[in-house]
Amino acid sequence: MADKSTFLALFSDLEPAADAIERLRALGLGDADMNVISGIPVTEGMLGRPRQWTNVPRLALGGATGGFLFGAFLAFGTPNLYPVFVGGQGLLPGPPSVVVLFEMTMLGMLIATFVGVFLDSFFPSYSPKEYVREISDGKIAVLFSCPADAQKEIVEAVRKSGAESVEPAEAQPL
Amino acid sequence: MAVAAKPLPGAHAREHRSHEEHLREQHLMLDPMPRGEMNAMVMDSMHTTSWKFWAVFIFLSIVVAVCLFGAWGYMIAQGLGVAGVNRPSYWGIFLVNTVFWIGISHAGTFISAILRVFKAEFRRPFTRAAELMTTFGLVQAGFSIFMHMGRVWLAYWLFPYPNQRQLWPNLHSPLSWDLLAITTYLLSSTMYLFLPLIPDLAMARDRSTGWRKTFFKILALGFRGTEGEWTHLRNAMNIFAFAIIPVMFSVHTIVSWDFAAATRPGWSSTIFGPYFVIGALHSGMGAVVMVLAVIRATMKNMKYFIRPEHFEAIGKLMLIISMGWAYFFFNDYMVQWYGGDQWTKQLLHWHEAGPMGWMWFAMLVFNIAIPWAILWNKKWRSSPWLVFGVGLFINVGMWFERYIIIPISLTINRMPFTWRLYEPGIEIPLSIGTLSLFVLLYMAASRLIPLVPVWEVQEGQMAHSLKKFGRETVVTVSDLE
Repeated sequence: MADKSTFLALFSDLEPAADAIERLRALGLGDADMNVISGIPVTEGMLGRPRQWTNVPRLALGGATGGFLFGAFLAFGTPNLYPVFVGGQGLLPGPPSVVVLFEMTMLGMLIATFVGVFLDSFFPSYSPKEYVREISDGKIAVLFSCPADAQKEIVEAVRKSGAESVEPAEAQPL
Repeated sequence: MAVAAKPLPGAHAREHRSHEEHLREQHLMLDPMPRGEMNAMVMDSMHTTSWKFWAVFIFLSIVVAVCLFGAWGYMIAQGLGVAGVNRPSYWGIFLVNTVFWIGISHAGTFISAILRVFKAEFRRPFTRAAELMTTFGLVQAGFSIFMHMGRVWLAYWLFPYPNQRQLWPNLHSPLSWDLLAITTYLLSSTMYLFLPLIPDLAMARDRSTGWRKTFFKILALGFRGTEGEWTHLRNAMNIFAFAIIPVMFSVHTIVSWDFAAATRPGWSSTIFGPYFVIGALHSGMGAVVMVLAVIRATMKNMKYFIRPEHFEAIGKLMLIISMGWAYFFFNDYMVQWYGGDQWTKQLLHWHEAGPMGWMWFAMLVFNIAIPWAILWNKKWRSSPWLVFGVGLFINVGMWFERYIIIPISLTINRMPFTWRLYEPGIEIPLSIGTLSLFVLLYMAASRLIPLVPVWEVQEGQMAHSLKKFGRETVVTVSDLE
């Protein structure tokens, strides 16, 4: 396998960043070899990038199911663990159980959504990463890996598309 | 004789330019500045503290130590007898405060979630300021419930776990629903506060040194802003924005059921759920404008982010919510009055003509007359301090409303020999203590986390532009999401 080098190209606007991605693709780089880092959310469509996969909605659904089951245990299970009949009333009233089921379902869903962001993004992660402070100042960074033997041509193409700088990407403490 | 109008040379172009300038001056979304500068402004606002800030901070810390923890400790040592609760008003100011603070907490979700779902652009600079109110308001509500318990060290009995006899708490009681609903809302709103904060914490991490750098680095969790991180974050924020709305409605509805599920005169009302929710929004929005006016006046650079246009927009919402509250109040009053039950009639008469009648009339003036008299006028509702005043009146009025519903209504029951007017005791310093703790927490947060969601503001500025339709220049918004 050929050696690969990683570069970080900085752009001050969306248009040149999108051009650079197109050029990189034309030079044979796959979408998996690139990543875009930005200080504000830039949709995939703006940069012509493939849609990102996320597990967050599925995890949310799983959390909702778990929450519902826990709510069912509280509402229907616990009264049966030690049945106390009061004044001839039923042991499992319907409407109050709906309240418990609703609250637990929502709590399960929202906790799972929150945890989902951590799992999908590998948070927390304090190891050194390829990043420069200018990104949170509004610059758009395109991080790409290319074969070492073609790096000169590729870096030149990215520069021509309007990159302010193209530097070898070094992982550094955030 | 016909007179030909002769325009001044260049007058139209000048007018057009000044109209554009005026629009940019008015609207934050049309007045962009480089992201670096905006970041620096927000960081600067966090780092700049005057001696006045520290004087207020120390004063409030003393008030919290004495009035909240000192008085609470005294009450724990002496028992609930030092409070004013007694037959027939076993529910007093502690529960008034609980309902009040839960009401305040509704503003954060309303502004952040509902306005986000409907893509109301004016929300962008102050969503976090409102979300913080939700979290800190719920903390005060929790404190107030614990005070009401008296034997607070036994609070864990509420949690769903079995006792030594394997008997579980009765989860079909409204008080258990309270625990579930408030816990769900507190956890959800804290998570919802944290998620959009992550990119701003990363921004702060990049601009800090020393202990602040470590603090922000830990909280930013290693966020860089990759495509994947943004995708996961945005998906999660969308789910939260939709899901937290029914949770918000459920919380105050369940709080209302603490009252409505009882067969007491004045409480047994099917409309209490929505009436409580609209009341919560009423006080919550009033509190948001108060906080925004104070932040704008006291924190550096905040005049750029929070402008009269925001007070104008919130003012409109306050006016609509005030009308909604008046509708629900009258609906509740009308049905009870028409019902003709002798105890309810006695209670309604007691509300208006009893020794606390002044409070009932003040409630109507503060919640309806003052907001309607001021907020209909665009110029007036654009004035931060005038809207602050309206917000203050609304909050006092809404606190009165809860006072009337709880201890005053409890005075009248079906056993006239027990009638006795509630007189608060240690509840007063404890109320001052919780209010001070809320302000103190807010002041501390304003210096520890970016109060303005910078990335959201910049995203909004990217989406806004001016477009010419014929001779008219208008504001347009693109849907970037």
